[in-house]
Amino acid sequence: MSTSKHDRAHHAKKATGKGDPQCFRGEAGPPKFRVGDRVRIKDLPDIFYTRCQVYTRGALGTVAALVYESPAAEDEAWDNTDKPEWFYSVRFQQKELWPDYPDLYANDSVETEFSERWLEKA
Amino acid sequence: MSDKHSKDEHGHRPPAPMVDEVSDFEVLEMAVRELAIEKGLFSAEDHRRWTEYVHTLGPLPAARLVAKAWLDPEYKKLAVTDGVKASLDVGVDWINSPPTNFGTPSDYCNLRVLEDTPKVKHVVVCTLCSCYPRPILGQSPEWYRTPNYRRRLVRWPRQVLAEFGLQLPPDVDIRVADSNQKTRYIVLPVRPAGTEGWTEDQLAEIVTRDCLIGVAVPKPGVTANAKRPVHPAVHPVQHGH
Repeated sequence: MSTSKHDRAHHAKKATGKGDPQCFRGEAGPPKFRVGDRVRIKDLPDIFYTRCQVYTRGALGTVAALVYESPAAEDEAWDNTDKPEWFYSVRFQQKELWPDYPDLYANDSVETEFSERWLEKA
Repeated sequence: MSDKHSKDEHGHRPPAPMVDEVSDFEVLEMAVRELAIEKGLFSAEDHRRWTEYVHTLGPLPAARLVAKAWLDPEYKKLAVTDGVKASLDVGVDWINSPPTNFGTPSDYCNLRVLEDTPKVKHVVVCTLCSCYPRPILGQSPEWYRTPNYRRRLVRWPRQVLAEFGLQLPPDVDIRVADSNQKTRYIVLPVRPAGTEGWTEDQLAEIVTRDCLIGVAVPKPGVTANAKRPVHPAVHPVQHGH
C-alpha cells in the first residue's frame, strides 16, 4: 500500500448514521443478474477468507432478490471497501444441494446470499 | 457410567471444578479487547456500558412486530418489504442505536422478515458462525450457536425441526434461510387459529423467541420456549493433542 497512514475507522465512519450495507448504496453499478435468473455458484479459491459456503459451490439456483450493494466479504475482511458489488439472495432446491434428499419433500429449499463474483449465468 | 466410578471412597461425588474452562475464543476476545483499550480505540468504560446495553436486548420487540403485522395488513406489507423501517414502530432503531450511536449490536443493518404461509415454513440458521438479528431478538440461544444446529439444519431441516417438537406435513415446504452475509432474518409465522379477536398484547405473548427463529409455531396458551434438555457429550473432546 502506498499510503503510510491508513484510517482504520474509515469503514465505521462511513456507516455511522446510515448503516451497513446501506452506506454502499449506489456504488456497485448496474447489476449483472435479475430476479428469476438461473445461476450457478462458482467454485473460486478461498485461501484467506470467504463467506461462500462449500455446500453451495457448483450448485444451480434461482435469484430470489437483489438485496443490497456491499464490498464482498472476501475484500472487506482485508479492509478493502473500494469495489462494492451487488448481492443476490439465491434459492436452491434442497435436492440440488443434497442429491439424496427425499423426493417426498422436493419443494424444500435453502436461501442464502452471494456477492456477484460468485455467480455465473446457468 | 456406574455410580461406583463416579463416587469417591466415602461415597460422595468429587467436588465440581472451581473454574469453568476458558475457551480459546474467550482468550482471543480478551486479548483483542485489551489491545483495543491500550490503543485507545475505546475505553474499558465504553466496553462495560456497551456490554450491559447488549444484555438488555430481548425478543419482545420482534414479537410486537409480528402481532402488529397480524392485525394490520399495511404494516405487514411494510415489515416484509422494509424490516429496518418497520422495526422503528416497535422501538428498534437498527441504524442509530444507543448508547454509543455507533454501529448496532448486529454490525449489519439489513433485516428481512420472512413471511410464512400455511404452505411455506421458514426457519433461520447461520451456517457460517451464528449471525443473529440481535437488535430485535437479543442474544442468541446457546443451541443456535452450536455446530450441531448449524450443520444439520441446512441438510436435514425436517429432522432438526422434529427434534424441536415441530413435525410438518409433506405438503408444507420448508425454506431454510442461511444468514451468512449482511442480512439478518426473523420469521413472521402464520397467525394460529383460536386467536380471533385477540388484542396486540395477547398476540405478542404467544410469539416466542423460538417462533421468531422458526423452530416453533405460535399456539394459543403457549407463551414460553419449550424446555430443551442438555445431555453430556457421549465422546467428549479430548484436549492436549
